[in-house]
Amino acid sequence: MTSASPLRKKSRFNFKLPGNAVRLVALLLLLGLSGYIYYLDVTIREAFEGRKFALPARVYGRALEVYPGLKLTREQFVGEFKSIGYHENPQPDEAATYKNTLNGIEFTTRDFVFGDGPQPLQHLRIEFADGKVSLLQQRGSKDVDLPLLRMEPPLIGGIYPGHNEDRELVRLSEVPKPLIDALIATEDRKFYTHWGIDPRGIARALYKTVTGQRIEGGSTLTQQLVKNFLLTSERTLSRKAKEVLMALLLEMHYSKDEILETYLNEIFLGQDANRAIHGFGLASYFYFDRPLDRLGPQEIATLVGMVKGPTVYDPRKHPELALKRRNVVLQEMVSQNVITQAQFVAARQKPLGVVQRAPAGTSPYPAFLQFVHHQLERDYREEDLRSEGLRIFTTLDPFVQHQAEEALKSRLAEIEKARKFAANTLEGAVVVSSTQTGEIQAMVGGRDARYAGYNRAIDAQRQIGSLAKPIVYLTALENPNRYTLITPLDDSPLVWRQPSTTDWKPQNYDRQFHGQVQLRTALAHSYNVATARMGIELGVEHILDKLPLYGIERRPPPFASSLLGAFELSPIEVAQLYQTFADGGFRTPLRAIRAIVTAEGTPLQRYPLNVEPVAAPAPVYLLTAALQGVVREGTAQSLINWLPAEMNVAGKTGTTDDLRDSWFAGYTGDRVAVVWVGRDDNKPSGLTGASGAMTVWGEMMKNIQPEPLQPAMPEEIEMVNVDPVSGLRYDEGCKAGMLLPFIKGSAPAETSPCGASSAKPDAKPGVKQDTGKKNWFQRLFN
Amino acid sequence: MKNRFGWFFVSAWLLLLAGCAGVATKPSTIPTPSGTQPRQPSEGAIIEPVPKSAMSGNRAVIVLLDRAQTDNESGQREAAGASLERALRIEPRNPWLWLELAQVRLAQGQYAQAITLARKSNSFAGRQHRVQAENWQVIGQARVAQGDSAGAEQAFKLSAKLAQQAKAEADHNSGFNFQ
Repeated sequence: MTSASPLRKKSRFNFKLPGNAVRLVALLLLLGLSGYIYYLDVTIREAFEGRKFALPARVYGRALEVYPGLKLTREQFVGEFKSIGYHENPQPDEAATYKNTLNGIEFTTRDFVFGDGPQPLQHLRIEFADGKVSLLQQRGSKDVDLPLLRMEPPLIGGIYPGHNEDRELVRLSEVPKPLIDALIATEDRKFYTHWGIDPRGIARALYKTVTGQRIEGGSTLTQQLVKNFLLTSERTLSRKAKEVLMALLLEMHYSKDEILETYLNEIFLGQDANRAIHGFGLASYFYFDRPLDRLGPQEIATLVGMVKGPTVYDPRKHPELALKRRNVVLQEMVSQNVITQAQFVAARQKPLGVVQRAPAGTSPYPAFLQFVHHQLERDYREEDLRSEGLRIFTTLDPFVQHQAEEALKSRLAEIEKARKFAANTLEGAVVVSSTQTGEIQAMVGGRDARYAGYNRAIDAQRQIGSLAKPIVYLTALENPNRYTLITPLDDSPLVWRQPSTTDWKPQNYDRQFHGQVQLRTALAHSYNVATARMGIELGVEHILDKLPLYGIERRPPPFASSLLGAFELSPIEVAQLYQTFADGGFRTPLRAIRAIVTAEGTPLQRYPLNVEPVAAPAPVYLLTAALQGVVREGTAQSLINWLPAEMNVAGKTGTTDDLRDSWFAGYTGDRVAVVWVGRDDNKPSGLTGASGAMTVWGEMMKNIQPEPLQPAMPEEIEMVNVDPVSGLRYDEGCKAGMLLPFIKGSAPAETSPCGASSAKPDAKPGVKQDTGKKNWFQRLFN
Repeated sequence: MKNRFGWFFVSAWLLLLAGCAGVATKPSTIPTPSGTQPRQPSEGAIIEPVPKSAMSGNRAVIVLLDRAQTDNESGQREAAGASLERALRIEPRNPWLWLELAQVRLAQGQYAQAITLARKSNSFAGRQHRVQAENWQVIGQARVAQGDSAGAEQAFKLSAKLAQQAKAEADHNSGFNFQ
């Protein structure tokens, strides 16, 4: 009470000038309000402008090139159709449809904008014979032979904006009129006349709130769009007020068409694992696997019905509710004359027709996509990748990828079963690339290839064991005066002393020493002691210095044990290493991306083929011959169970201490592939390179059907007929013996009479012999 | 009147000079894809362009070669390279394709890459002296651009020798061809 008098005084004083006070308060209020409105205005405009263009990057696999003579079966081609979303249709004249015929397939491609320009829709016919394409024609009034067809590439993933939103941008002009009419009929009939809000709707909502009922409804399309921008689901009056203000502001700045177009692309219409489906354009593909302009009235009604509640009316999860809702929308459509009564009756009777596709997360090939993303991050800002709608053309071959995934999955399960291991204890990784171009065709990060987590192909760092040996042998063969394929190596006990480490006494896998063995034999049987001794003679540092040339940037410890692979690499690094061996000494950096094109189709960047000569072709040719020996008569002999001898595969097994890691790296005429098998906890897997990884490699390659390996023979190489036992040159014309490659001038000069030798190879008393008898043992264990 | 004629002669003389200069400044080492125009190796023997049918038996590859050539002629080197890479995916061991790619890189001023690709072409060439001769041409031109005149000279000599061998073989073969 005591404080009342000054107050009154004050107010009396103010009372003298009532107009001023009111004006002041009003002014302040107005200032505050306009500040707030200005803030809302900036916010909503930013959201609108930004969201209008937030397009994810699209990642495509390789486009299949089809031409007469290509090795391709009907089944493989149909598989390709599946991966690019073609449908079987008795009248295959619409884009992306096909029909099986007696000898082949009739089909129609889609329009597609490639990195080098657009390719229009084409009506085609293909026929197959003997596992090859025998005919490729353009169908028309007169059929025309086509020399080459590039199919559309399969979409293999996206790099999405924040909150993993995915969308397929559509222009208003591309949206079918019935969809727009249906949307307006069900959601906001006064859309074209109101100012962004519907006062009666708001009044109704207000009344319901005041009377304690749920806050709901009354939202115009504009308000719904604002709500989508704000990304909150709280239902309060203040939020509602904000929404109303923003809707009014939006209508002041933008035309009805702009708002509608943004709405059609923005509205949330479902969830696919961690990917959010935004807009009708993408929803049309996601639910019906077709573009918007090819949807029927019932499908349009299903999508429009989902606007009310994308989760509740999800046609995959709640088909009954979705169907009911669809029919309500159809009813609205007929009552607003969007469709005729006849169309209504026909549409009502149709099923939902949703394609039953298992939600695939963000990509069916997460390991490969992760690799692509890492490469892109070097050249692009993350926000551009997620919003500029870039189109990224990659090297992934879905057929090769499928074979790699299947081989790993099936072989690991079989091994676990046969050896009575606990199920799902083994893991693995596969990398396949093309020999001459270095393009990565497949990458499997684990036996669950769909799992987007630990990518063993890149992230698993494991000891490589004997996979390192070819580096030692190549270094040796680069000195033709000292080493040829038949140079005897010493495989007797070795003790190596090096400062700062304990004495090193390498052992062979079979715990035996083999005395004098030829160089090619030592590699074929993966003898550690002979290899270590030769490597030490050549110089450990000298050999390890070569790794960067072959694309291995990591430096192994400078110990002799590194020569036997006592250092860790990832499968992709091993693939890079063997790429150079496979490609005759040319190093081609492994590539996953071919080109990047803007959303408008303008080429942005190409990742061209890059080749560097890092090893002389002749020694590499000899190394390949020796690695073919590994498969023909060495540790990888049992590969014959998968691939015929004529394939001439070159490869190397790798096994690490206590059987922790099982590796196989090898190459055919057209592909280089590396497989790792082991356990994530680094416990012994119980597998050698030959009993684990090599079986996956063989199974995969058998199904890929590779080209046989016939390396180009460099000029410096000559083939010489030698006695495989004594290593002496046979007389010209002698039918016995073995043709081996030598760098000119390095072949043995001393000749032996034809068929003179009958001694065991590398004979030395008191030392375990390297004879054929032991091969079963080798086969079994390494 | 006299003046007018004077101007006429001066202008004509200038035009003629400009024309000569235009010819003289045209770089003599502009690489063109083989098959577009006769190539002139250092020895002076004109090599007839190789028909595309001799470069590949696969029509798909020839389509891509044609496309690469059109792009290259209009200065679209990147696009030409892209088409050649497509062809190489079909025939990765075709030395002509590697040669074409080497020529595109040469035109782009990527000399080291041009040399490597020509070498790679040679590694697939076997006894095809004609493609080897062209590869050594590319290597020679790239070395000139790199300032290695001695190395270039060597490459051109080798190229000429291989070209002669190729020509001799061609003549020999056509001697048996009565059609």
